[in-house]
Amino acid sequence: MKAKHRVFLSPRKGTAWWLTCGFLAVLTAQAIAATDTGNAPPPAPALSWNIPTNITVTTPPSPPTLDSLQHDFDVFSWQTFVALNWPANADGSPNTNMTIGQDTNEPVVWESYRESRTIFLPGGDKPADWGQNSPLPPQCDKIDAKHLPPGTLRLTQVGKTPNVLDESGEPFKTGPLIDQNGKYARFSILTNQAMFNYIVNNQLYSKKGQQDFNADADFPPTKEDSQEQAIMIKTSWVEMGGKYDPSKFFTTWALVYDNPAEEPGVKPSCTLKQVGLVGFHIGHKTISDPQWIWSTFEHVDNVPTVNQPISKAEYNFFNPACKDCQVNEPPPRPWNPGNEYTQPTQVERVIAITDDANQLNAEYHQALNAAVPGSVWQNYELVSTQWPTNAKSKTDPTGVPAPSFLANTTLETYIQGHVKQTSSSCIACHNNATQTNGKFSDFTYLLQRAQ
Amino acid sequence: MSSDMQNFIGLSAVLTGFNQEILAPELDPVDIKSEYLPLFESKIAQESGDPQLVQQILLKYASLAAGGGTEQEIGTAMLDPSNGANWVLACRKLIYTWYAGAWPTLIPPGPSKPASTVGDVISAESYTAGLVWQVMQSHPMGDSNYRYGYWATKPASLSDYTGNP
Repeated sequence: MKAKHRVFLSPRKGTAWWLTCGFLAVLTAQAIAATDTGNAPPPAPALSWNIPTNITVTTPPSPPTLDSLQHDFDVFSWQTFVALNWPANADGSPNTNMTIGQDTNEPVVWESYRESRTIFLPGGDKPADWGQNSPLPPQCDKIDAKHLPPGTLRLTQVGKTPNVLDESGEPFKTGPLIDQNGKYARFSILTNQAMFNYIVNNQLYSKKGQQDFNADADFPPTKEDSQEQAIMIKTSWVEMGGKYDPSKFFTTWALVYDNPAEEPGVKPSCTLKQVGLVGFHIGHKTISDPQWIWSTFEHVDNVPTVNQPISKAEYNFFNPACKDCQVNEPPPRPWNPGNEYTQPTQVERVIAITDDANQLNAEYHQALNAAVPGSVWQNYELVSTQWPTNAKSKTDPTGVPAPSFLANTTLETYIQGHVKQTSSSCIACHNNATQTNGKFSDFTYLLQRAQ
Repeated sequence: MSSDMQNFIGLSAVLTGFNQEILAPELDPVDIKSEYLPLFESKIAQESGDPQLVQQILLKYASLAAGGGTEQEIGTAMLDPSNGANWVLACRKLIYTWYAGAWPTLIPPGPSKPASTVGDVISAESYTAGLVWQVMQSHPMGDSNYRYGYWATKPASLSDYTGNP
């Protein structure tokens, strides 16, 4: 049974026991008095700052099914999302005296992660150490930190440097995403310290370093007793104001940089903007899932779903009043994020969120609201989690992902669907990622950015 | 899994030489079997004119499997001409379906043409799930899960693909 490589079993009701990777090993058995909850609603999920290290396999059913494991992975996604968005101390560790959503002026854990811009430097220079300052694009030098709105600036791990959103064309050059104010959505990619350390220690931040390394990348965890787990995050943002009410979003202040390297004709500029979170990808490598676990979250108001009722008067990326707008089509070229206005993109979700994921979202929203009434995190929902159903397959390095396709409407807007090799599948796509010398890069395209 | 599906997978494994775990993994997000069984039932009923034929085939497989015969013995018995021409043809079409991901139509010989078989691909999923690619230790044209540079390395063993020693 393939599910045996999962880490531990924890019955929804009844006796709990644990499995470790690859073989059945009862580490401990905690007898829990069996209680029959009948049709009572499930207990509210616990909110914790601990980032889970593997999924908790729940039973019944036994053996687990595809659907029951999907649920378990979705719980893992929510647990990770909550922990990553937990209020952080100055060093990026979770502030265990607070709860998620308690003070929206506090930085959260993932904001201490390292932006890709600060890792892959011009000339292949060595990046600054974890926790040290990194240079800003020159155009951003004109922003005086003293003029930043007090109490609202989210600092990265570098202490004095605001987030820089320098990507407007994520992902895959399929086209920018234009919000309902006619502005370009912005994107950033970040790595946690385990991933950053692996890149730096192996000099994978430069082409020369990758040539010298001359091997496939293998981010931690690489051993069963590894304490480190690589995590990477992609985020998408819209500028606040106009049709976007900051009270409905997790917001941050960011230096929005128009990068001339992205598109011809783009003039470099840097502006301080308040931006709101609309999309959140998490890639998390675990010992049981070397193809990584891929979780994706969105703002609840992003888009309606194809062939489902348009239930809201306003969406972040859909205009119900526009009857002749082409759906899921990128804007015509030329693309320039510096334009004052571009026709908004009309976006619909192609693959509906499952009923089970919707139910789980409702349970977490209830828990978030119980922790902090009116918590802004109630406005975010899990789309799904992609995971390998046969991680140790000798014939399929993707591990046969489930679900077969997964897309975030803000990050894979134009490649949603069910067509293999064309529609968005996190694992299938990232399985093709290489370093600059063609060696496997362990499911991240970041190493292609080395100079 | 229904008993019909269990018998269908068992029969398919015997006829194709692949392990049941490869044809129908316990965790099966592709689930091609659920596409093939109803197609097999409807096509054979339509083409043979016998709506009970598939059920009879599956029941005979179940009986032979319960009797403890080897896969080779069961396969030989299922394809025995004494079962009748439509029976044997149905089993052969099932083999074709699994290997090609397509449903075969036999074209009788014409005045100047020999007999031939035309396969209609059932779906995009069936095309990539065809066992022929596995036996080739390769991948469908236009769809590969192998990583960059795989062509320079030795493929996994055939037994890894079939699931049988």
